[in-house]
Amino acid sequence: MALFAAGVAAAEAPHTNRLTGIGRTADGRPDLTGIWQAISTADFDLEAHSTRKDAPPGAGVIDGDSIPYLPGALKQRQANFAARDKLDPRLQCFTLGVPRDNYYPEPFQILQRPRDLTLIYEFGNSVRTIHTNGTLHPAGDNPEFWLGDSRGHWEGDALVVDVTDFTDKTWLDRAGNFHSDALHVIERWTPLDQDHLEYRATLEDPKVFARPWTLSVILYRLKDKNIQLIENYCYTLDYDKYYPFPGEGVPRGAP
Amino acid sequence: MTNFDRRRIIARRAWPTLSVVAALLAVSQAGAQMRWSPTVVVDPEGPWTARRLADHQPDVQGVWSNDIANHDNFTDPQGGIPGDPSKGLHVANGAVDRPVKPRSERAPSRVSDPADGEVPFQPWARAQQQEFLANFFNPTKQEYIEPGAHCAPAGVPKSLYWHGYEIRQFRGVVLFLFNGGTRIIYLDGRPHLPSTIKLWNADSRGHWEGNTLVVDVSNNNAKARFGRTGEFASENVHIVERYAFAAGHYTYKAVFTDPFVYTRPFTVTIPAHRITESAPQDGWHNEQEWANRLPGQPPLYENYERVCVENNHGHGAIVASPKAAANAAPAPAP
Repeated sequence: MALFAAGVAAAEAPHTNRLTGIGRTADGRPDLTGIWQAISTADFDLEAHSTRKDAPPGAGVIDGDSIPYLPGALKQRQANFAARDKLDPRLQCFTLGVPRDNYYPEPFQILQRPRDLTLIYEFGNSVRTIHTNGTLHPAGDNPEFWLGDSRGHWEGDALVVDVTDFTDKTWLDRAGNFHSDALHVIERWTPLDQDHLEYRATLEDPKVFARPWTLSVILYRLKDKNIQLIENYCYTLDYDKYYPFPGEGVPRGAP
Repeated sequence: MTNFDRRRIIARRAWPTLSVVAALLAVSQAGAQMRWSPTVVVDPEGPWTARRLADHQPDVQGVWSNDIANHDNFTDPQGGIPGDPSKGLHVANGAVDRPVKPRSERAPSRVSDPADGEVPFQPWARAQQQEFLANFFNPTKQEYIEPGAHCAPAGVPKSLYWHGYEIRQFRGVVLFLFNGGTRIIYLDGRPHLPSTIKLWNADSRGHWEGNTLVVDVSNNNAKARFGRTGEFASENVHIVERYAFAAGHYTYKAVFTDPFVYTRPFTVTIPAHRITESAPQDGWHNEQEWANRLPGQPPLYENYERVCVENNHGHGAIVASPKAAANAAPAPAP
């Protein structure tokens, strides 16, 4: 994994150009604070696909023609695809995971401090911390996180994040693309201008993929008046009917 | 990850009977080493003299936890849950003093006004609260199971006495990260969401007055109870919170106004203390882990991801895949 990481770093030279016209923090880093969302068919299918009953057409967001599955994993992906209307973890409002949360068609908010970035995904109100304080991935007994463990650093204007310690319970899209608990993700968040970010994620998983591969989407800053995340604890929807307000005759939602 | 890892200890494959859920909820409290104070310390409101952030907010970032007790009992916080069949179980870990100490030596009610410490319920609402409490230990209907058992957010104000929590501050924003639920408090004066939108953790707008964070709370979905004793508000409740901060301590005072449920407004007081790097990990106040640092750097706590198991598990045990079935078994809230 270390060799692979070094290889990726060499292959993707750091963006050293300093953009002008973007907000910066007191320490000179790009200020990614804001509410962002992808406008892309990535969540429907990362790979290129014609229109389907459950997905608009899309040209794909991966480098290359297809995700390089190992033979056995490809069969699993095909089985996932065939049963996607039942098995997609999003249908139960499971935490979507990384990278999927970043291109799911619902906004997320970035809040930034020198020591970390806090990402709040509206879907499920999942909270992710990208540590940028020089700390390392947890040592020891292989913890597993729905969103992985994220340690980031800046390379010029690009935020580079190493993400490890995943569960095997999340999918990469609605088409059944998946990974194992051996997933390792390297993200590059690169400002294009004040209101656009390029998001690239390179995925390595020796149990599932024959080689590392990369996806990329553009993230757009939402600029609607008074835009805010609206709490979406969708996993409560299956039981919230059991908690009606207990008083009969009391107006519901009176101002 | 907190609860995700706990599943290895308490995971069960089938949805248990309702009474088992309640029993496990009680038992699960016994694992944590808790330290509670019977004394309510009130920090005065006034000027802020300590460190400020770049946007001039008082810097109150870090991990905090309630001084008094957990969510078992709203008006007798160290009295345990009335009717608890596990008598004495809680005493071992210090969560409550019942039955060791008499009421006069336990912490006062969280309701500081009116003086009798009771929520000024209208009679019908008092009856509803009593019905929930009477059925808590043997819930025969889904509505008698506290929503937190499904990992629903604890809401306002219960999140403040449901494990330690982290405050992060950003330009124009105060963020509360609870063990189960998040509140984003905007300081920029924007209006509340439309009143038809109702949320577990409501909608918060704040501003600073000296050392005090003042938060106006509306858009409450009224599904969360204030504790296992079943106190509640309606969707119409209006809450004004005042968080008065000192260096290592703060006092929360909130006025609840809801003429549909109460006969008059009432005030809730919750004292809380800062969790520092010298605090032990105790599974309640301090659920942080030691950050993995390069040699020679001082110890630093950090919070891991907090995803409740049933946060990832729809009620009714629908499972995503055969593999997920074993791992995503319902588990009680800790």
